[in-house]
Amino acid sequence: MGRRFLFADRRRATLTVLGVAASLLLVLVLGGIFAGAVDRVTYYIRTSPADVFVSQDGVRTMHMSASSLPGDTPERIADIPGVAWASPIAFASGSVAGPQGRQLSYLIGYDTRTGRGGPTRLVAGRTPAAGEAVLDEQAAKQLGVQVGDQFTVMGTSLRAVGFSTGGSSITNTTVFVELSEFGRIHDDRVSYVLTGLDPGADPEAVTDRIEAEIGGVTAQTREQFADSEARIVTDMSADLLRLMSSIGLVIALAVIALGLMTATLNRLRDFAVLKALGARTPRLAAAVAMQVLLSVVLASTVATTAALTVAWLLPLAAPAVQISITTAAVAQTTTTALLVGLIAALWPLRRIAALDAATAFRETR
Amino acid sequence: MNTNAPTTAGTAPVPDPVPRSPGDNTPHGESTRPGVLTVRGLTKTYGAGDTTVDAVRAVDLDLAAGELLLVMGPSGSGKTTLLLMLGALLRPSAGSITITGRDGVDVDIAAAREKELPVLRSRTFGFIFQDYALLDALTATENIAVAANLAGTTGPAAHERARELLERVGLAHRAAARPSQMSGGEQQRVAVARALANDPPVLLADEPTANLDASRGRDLARLLRQLADEDGRSIVIVSHDDRLREIADRVLWMEDGQFRHVAALAVDPVCRMQVEPNGPHASWRGEQWWFCSDACRREVLTQPERFTPRPASN
Repeated sequence: MGRRFLFADRRRATLTVLGVAASLLLVLVLGGIFAGAVDRVTYYIRTSPADVFVSQDGVRTMHMSASSLPGDTPERIADIPGVAWASPIAFASGSVAGPQGRQLSYLIGYDTRTGRGGPTRLVAGRTPAAGEAVLDEQAAKQLGVQVGDQFTVMGTSLRAVGFSTGGSSITNTTVFVELSEFGRIHDDRVSYVLTGLDPGADPEAVTDRIEAEIGGVTAQTREQFADSEARIVTDMSADLLRLMSSIGLVIALAVIALGLMTATLNRLRDFAVLKALGARTPRLAAAVAMQVLLSVVLASTVATTAALTVAWLLPLAAPAVQISITTAAVAQTTTTALLVGLIAALWPLRRIAALDAATAFRETR
Repeated sequence: MNTNAPTTAGTAPVPDPVPRSPGDNTPHGESTRPGVLTVRGLTKTYGAGDTTVDAVRAVDLDLAAGELLLVMGPSGSGKTTLLLMLGALLRPSAGSITITGRDGVDVDIAAAREKELPVLRSRTFGFIFQDYALLDALTATENIAVAANLAGTTGPAAHERARELLERVGLAHRAAARPSQMSGGEQQRVAVARALANDPPVLLADEPTANLDASRGRDLARLLRQLADEDGRSIVIVSHDDRLREIADRVLWMEDGQFRHVAALAVDPVCRMQVEPNGPHASWRGEQWWFCSDACRREVLTQPERFTPRPASN
């Protein structure tokens, strides 16, 4: 009955579903952009061959952090039982410029002989040597840099010899250079030590051992390091995201409430007739709840489809933007919208509960 | 003696010659039909203190199985208030309404608890509304099935019941139509079918012909008469429509919350409708016969041997 009541006035039902879908789309896309940004920010860490990341004591992230370790730290770590290899990377924040513009960038110096700490995948070109660099393909496109072109990294002119992928986010990009080149551009430093473990070694045990034996360092497993990195981005954006999501859900609440209120007011006579025929209030409440459920499920389906379409289309126009629409996000948004819808149904339910069945006879009198 | 002449003549409300409850239709002797509804001292008072208004005042009424009762009266006389109380839709201020269910158990509606009323309504009464009150979101079948659901018949059985009833009211071919796609007459027939969905012992109808033209009104009247005769269902109709006198076993006149007069009617030997003894008539074998229409009259006059006279119900 709830289904029939909802679709009896198709125009109103469509408007309600589309209104709710629009607000859910807002919530999903905002969450998706945020999740996409987190994915991009942690891409380097998540795709690294390292099992453990070692940083200066108390430094738990790369973003918004500066880590500096003694130059012999990689060798000392390599001697610890359970460690198979240890490779240093140098890390700094700066800017990169090309013929078509300038972007904020991370500069990562790595050991090009082992490749550890370098780009996860090259989509063009080769590993950089002295005076050369690899930059992210999206940044290259936006900056107007081709393989073989000169471009500027932190004021130093380098030749682009390859393009990596997955290193650009909404806020910045990533440039990879040889360790010695990093020293020439910036300074000689070891920022982090990427550590690979022996087969079967327990990462948690090894991190404890590294912290105990080296001193003045913080060691985290790859997952812990990625989580820390994601958390700092989350913490920085959470308030804004919560605000925008709340606005979206308030809009959804208003749309559902308005749609249900109108539908219920227009059907008060029907509800009175049903009461006269012997329907109890819980049964009528179930019909209203069914309308909420259907509205939200349909709206969620429409919103998810639209969000996935946006997630597919938007990066074509703005490659740095990644929208990650996850099943968990859809489930969470739908559940929240359902709760919001049930709250919106309270007023119509009160009207129905208070409705006098005798009005079924009085309506036209 | 006229075979189908009324025991109490006249269409105009006339005083009951015998001192008894105006609603009591028991002939001056014994009733041949079991009682279904017994009302005693039914009163509804609105307001309080100096501003009290008695919408219905100490009404007594006995309704037999298969009896069709027409309650008439001016607007504001308390007809609808009475109907609402009979249908367990309005709490009386005083009095009792005892209904005998299909299971033979007597229930006093006036004394029933609030939460028992929906079940009482769904199992005991069929309601027919002036403006049909069908749910426009549902098809004809679904409108009937919903009432069956509320009475405890669910799933395919409810739809089967709905199909049977649509067939009975001659609308099997409109099963999938929505109310907005049907004529007023069709809608009222669906409404009657819906009222039958729970197989109620009593049908309560509020101005059932008010929105119908003469022809459709007559069709509906015949249908209601048929339901009383064939099913033994008791029917209470509240109406201003004089045409309905023709099908009623009894006509009660309500004024200022009380029954004032009783009118009794004759039976048309052709269509078996109750008729006023002031319309088409004919004499045959030395007796006076009353008919609902000239068509019925002609039928008797052309083939009199086909019809067995039937006495008036009162």
